[in-house]
Amino acid sequence: MNNRNDKAGLSDADVSPTSEKRMPFECQAWLGLQKHADELKGVHLKDLFQSANRFDEFSVSQQHFLLDLSKQRITGETLSKLLGLAEEQKLASWIEKLFTGEKVNASEQRAALHTALRQRAGEDLWLDGQNVTEGVHASLNKMKLLVEQIQSAQWRGYEGSPIKNIVNIGVGGSNLGPSMACGALEQYAPAEIRHLNVYFVSSMDGSELEKLLPTLNPAATLFIISSKTFSTVDTLANANTAREWLLKASKKPVEIINQHHFIAATASPKAAIAWGVPEKNQLLFWDWVGGRYSLWSVIGMPIALKIGMDNFHKILKGAGIMDAHFREEPFETNLPVLLGLIGVWNVNFLRIHAHAILPYDGRLAQFPSYLEQLEMESNGKSINRDGQRINYQTCPVLWGEVGSNAQHAFYQLLHQGTQAVMCDFIVSAKRYCGETDGLQSQHQLSLANCLAQSRLLALGADALKKNGQTANYQHYDGNQPSTTIMLDELTPETFGGLIALYEHKVFVQSVIWEINPFDQWGVEQGKQVATLLLAELVQSSDDGLDASTNGLIQYVRQQHKGGDDEG
Amino acid sequence: MKVNVYGSSLSAWVAAASLAKVGNDVCINEMGAGSIKELNEIGVIRDELGLLNLLEQQIDSGRLVRCSKLENLADIHWFTLQATEQDLAEQILDKICIINPNGLLVINQCNFTVGATVGLQARIGEENDVVYIPDNLQEGAALKGFNRPKRITLGMDDTRVLIQVKALLRPFSTELDELQIMSSREAEFTKFAITGMLAVRLGYINELANLADQLDVDISVVQGGMGADPRIGRHYLSPGCGFGGQNFHAYVEKFASIFQTEQQQTLLKTVILQNETQKELPFRKLWQHYHGDLSDKVIAIWGASFKPGTASIDNAPSIKNIDALISQNVQVRVHDPEAIDNLRAYYKDQPLVSYYDDHMAAIKDVDGLLLLTEWPLYWSPDYDKLVGAMRHPLLVDGRNILDKEMLSQYGLIYIGVGR
Repeated sequence: MNNRNDKAGLSDADVSPTSEKRMPFECQAWLGLQKHADELKGVHLKDLFQSANRFDEFSVSQQHFLLDLSKQRITGETLSKLLGLAEEQKLASWIEKLFTGEKVNASEQRAALHTALRQRAGEDLWLDGQNVTEGVHASLNKMKLLVEQIQSAQWRGYEGSPIKNIVNIGVGGSNLGPSMACGALEQYAPAEIRHLNVYFVSSMDGSELEKLLPTLNPAATLFIISSKTFSTVDTLANANTAREWLLKASKKPVEIINQHHFIAATASPKAAIAWGVPEKNQLLFWDWVGGRYSLWSVIGMPIALKIGMDNFHKILKGAGIMDAHFREEPFETNLPVLLGLIGVWNVNFLRIHAHAILPYDGRLAQFPSYLEQLEMESNGKSINRDGQRINYQTCPVLWGEVGSNAQHAFYQLLHQGTQAVMCDFIVSAKRYCGETDGLQSQHQLSLANCLAQSRLLALGADALKKNGQTANYQHYDGNQPSTTIMLDELTPETFGGLIALYEHKVFVQSVIWEINPFDQWGVEQGKQVATLLLAELVQSSDDGLDASTNGLIQYVRQQHKGGDDEG
Repeated sequence: MKVNVYGSSLSAWVAAASLAKVGNDVCINEMGAGSIKELNEIGVIRDELGLLNLLEQQIDSGRLVRCSKLENLADIHWFTLQATEQDLAEQILDKICIINPNGLLVINQCNFTVGATVGLQARIGEENDVVYIPDNLQEGAALKGFNRPKRITLGMDDTRVLIQVKALLRPFSTELDELQIMSSREAEFTKFAITGMLAVRLGYINELANLADQLDVDISVVQGGMGADPRIGRHYLSPGCGFGGQNFHAYVEKFASIFQTEQQQTLLKTVILQNETQKELPFRKLWQHYHGDLSDKVIAIWGASFKPGTASIDNAPSIKNIDALISQNVQVRVHDPEAIDNLRAYYKDQPLVSYYDDHMAAIKDVDGLLLLTEWPLYWSPDYDKLVGAMRHPLLVDGRNILDKEMLSQYGLIYIGVGR
């Protein structure tokens, strides 16, 4: 009952093996970890906490972060074996490859140089004969000019009035990162730019635009089309709707609307020009910036608009500091390495395949969905770097919510369900300094809840209550492992560091799992199928569709016909 | 009488000069400004026509002195501090209470807030008096306003000093139609209310003008019709590119903030915002005329001061329009009979702005002219020369002072406010 392994319900053998599948790791460290995990099987977290100095042993404090791993089901031996695994998997050399611009994204033959976006001017990095840093800063400088023009109310719409509303149209990495950052750091916006409203629109069905547009003055609204390829159908559908709205309201020629109401953040300038965004309104980045790693590039323009260019640079700075830490710090005290290895331990050896992200901070409300993309799009893979099928688990299912709200939702499952779940608790030590007593005590309340939940999840009710007799339904097993990441304070700098921490954690895991975290072939095919079905919705051909899809299409067509008759 | 004036605002200088002129011994204490500047280096004095001259005369006569100490005995203490300097007023009061014997008379002309005079009175005790006389100064006509007012409001909570106050104001009462006496709170509120009402009228007529633009109606005709109705009258009914200046603006904002402190939705806040937008109207007209492309354009501006008769550019529409133009890389040529020095100081080395002494020289080869201040000089230009000089004969009349039909006959493209 105490051992969540039994609840996992999945063993490595369950991943239906076929002949072409690769064998599980046979390296020493992997096998050693498996044996070690078997030995720890019957050990409950409350037993591990019998050791008085567990916190000192398993928490690392670096810069503005405290990483507490003591509520993980590990011992000193676990950690040293995990570090051994990292060594056997040549993590150090992979980190160097990442930072120096080697083509770590093999399936697309590209480097993944999001770290270069955080490099300071003058720290040169050469890639294919180009000084990457120089290009990065040239692009940021152009962004700065546009940002300042908008913030000083000198970017003019078709009527000549200044822009007041900025709507970012983008999806995935072109939406989640900037939107999350704006939500997290709004309080840092200097007073003189608070007159600007920044909105985000992503969904392909137009639901967001339909609600938003009637509330905006078209003459004072600017759209940023954020799309790496400038071919994402979701984004272009929204952009077209936005342009149609402007044309109708302004009765101006399309050239004037394109000139004064659209900015493109893209790696495909030609496609952007073809759509109509003039060159002077284009902000460029490069194919070596992955979509989910792009908030550091000009994709971050809405962030700079919302909280100011200086604060945007502070985010970059914070991430840059985490980069240096990741690259230079010994693995024993290296935050992303430890966070990544703990994940591997939970997934592959404790067989925990669900991961809850629980920020105890309403400002980080969008952080779970951001990580859902970062982690699952990066490491949700079953083919290794050599193109072979693998037979071990990779990325777990991630989800989350502001912790205190989730307490009233899915914590029931965490405490008493049948799933083993690992949790990340994320919280700031300090908040609301100089604000009202009421707010300060709300932060204390939130902190207390954060600590209470991780404690109860780890130890269970038995360890907390002296008089043990309770009904079964009142029972808490405990033994759910968690990590607590405590920030001194949520600032633009620590925010940048936090995101970089998870980016590198994902990379660490990909190295252990021998997969490429920088491609996303799994999201391609669906787009093509959708294009085919779009035609079927208009004119069905009955060609080779499965019965379900065909049946659904017929139903839709019937409904439309019915509607038309009534109309 | 012996009068001490405290403050360095335009109101302070006007009060000091005018009180000295009628025979009082006046001492003006500019409060704080460590080194005392020459009169002709003080902006508010230079900007108000006739004031420098009068001040120099009074100083020469010996009736007006500038001093920096608070130890001067006086019959009357005249406060003309900035709206934000209530703390300073309290400090001065504390000091002069110690030095002066009982029977202190303080005239408060500061627009602190509603209830400020009561607060000051409480501070100096029952044996002394504070009387509130609202500062109705109009920049550009400040001396006339002080010396020959049509109406005076006295905010006094005790009438025992009425005789003394009347005597003090007697030289300035020759054209007085009405002397109203009310409580200081009511007088303070009245002052704010008048200012707010005027702002709302201007805001409303501007809004009407913008609608008239859309509906192809000439607002000046409508304006005439409205003004003829005795319930409305003709004052403060001219649409234009926004109101500016230091005092008017500051009072309206202050009043709006009082509303806000009392948690009330305020019409004034909207008026202030709308006025800021209105100031850029000439730029927007130009922008639309050139379809949002002002590259390589040269534009002339007539009038930089916020209104005629002053050199002040505080909150002036010219600043907003010039800022907008230079952000589009437009070359701007400015003429103003008085405000050029202030403008030059404001834009320093900005290479896109150049300054002209001759208004006709400023429009040579320009792609458009924005008329922003209704200086008399601009009311009747030589139309032939005007059309001949400009590269593109476009005139945006931000004050609706020129004759639209006449200009059109000369081939000028005329764009007014609401016409």
